[in-house]
Amino acid sequence: MPVWQQVYDEINDPNFVLICVAEDTGGEAVAGPIFDAAKPTYIQIVDEDHIISSAFNFVNVPSAAWVDEEGRIVRIDEGTYSKIHEIGEGEQAITFGNDVYTPALKDWVAKGADSEFVQSVATVTGNIREHSFDQLKADAAFRLGNLFRAHGQKEKAELYWDIAQELNPDSVNFIRQNLTLTEEGSAGETFMNLRGEYISSGKDYYRPLDLEEK
Amino acid sequence: MSEVFMAYPELRHPFEASQIHPQGSTTVLYQGKVITLLETGGGDSLLINPEDLARINGFELKPEGVCYEDMCIPMTDDLLVTQDTRKWFDLTAFADLLAQPYVVDHEAGVWSFAEIPIKRENMKVNAMAPEFELTDRQGEVVRMSDFKGKKALIVTWSSW
Repeated sequence: MPVWQQVYDEINDPNFVLICVAEDTGGEAVAGPIFDAAKPTYIQIVDEDHIISSAFNFVNVPSAAWVDEEGRIVRIDEGTYSKIHEIGEGEQAITFGNDVYTPALKDWVAKGADSEFVQSVATVTGNIREHSFDQLKADAAFRLGNLFRAHGQKEKAELYWDIAQELNPDSVNFIRQNLTLTEEGSAGETFMNLRGEYISSGKDYYRPLDLEEK
Repeated sequence: MSEVFMAYPELRHPFEASQIHPQGSTTVLYQGKVITLLETGGGDSLLINPEDLARINGFELKPEGVCYEDMCIPMTDDLLVTQDTRKWFDLTAFADLLAQPYVVDHEAGVWSFAEIPIKRENMKVNAMAPEFELTDRQGEVVRMSDFKGKKALIVTWSSW
């Protein structure tokens, strides 16, 4: 989140808004301190029910959409990293992210429709993921689980979260959010195995970034 | 690595047991809203007071049908149900008509409705950003439509 604040400060354009949305059923208790540490001046939303992911058909975080002055989406659904991140040390060290997304974003804010990074309606609609009846139903089940969780009914929360995962098995959001209730957490063995299966079966953990070749 | 992604693990179970709604009422979830209905009709369907429809999903009963903004769904006989002279609107029949999924927990009296697919058509066909309504951390209501005339980057993240 601090890096997005840096990007927002660098862009510093009154006609550009940055809306950062935490997809967290844990709510303000878990997302708030991370937001606060970034000293953000952008718009901050804690989205317990993953309304934004559902609205834009995202299945993972971080994901993003660029929306122009007319309300039209001009890029959507890319693994949205503002820079290359490195975490861990030695053999445990991993890197993720890229250094091409932020320059592309800045180019769009500066040039608008003339930016080479703006995509056509056909490209954008082609890049919007399917959101089938079952996937929409998964959203409804997930939110029902969230309500039960918020009222301390863990068993029913798990029941409806499991239904959501069955109805939308491709939602990394649902899988990892559900894992936050387990001892191993969202980045433990279960998730690492799943990530391995994703990669070995040729599935995209994120939709590929269309920027490298520019 | 897990420490980095699992910030604040002590807050993963912060929720205390509490009542969802007053005895005898029904709760409807729709697009992040939690709507308590003090009265509903009997049976397996969700029969609501027609006056409650607008605060659930924005639709209103008009002479031309069941309407939201410039869209009207023609009224059909099964949408209005009479029980003991009382008229109810069948929200589940309306959802079925619109191919809107829902999940119900009868024991708790909670109905969770997904987004109405017809409200998403303009994104699928014309790449128009979907409308949403959420409250930000400062307590301000944020809608996609608030940002007309500006460029917006909407980016998701999570603590997990």
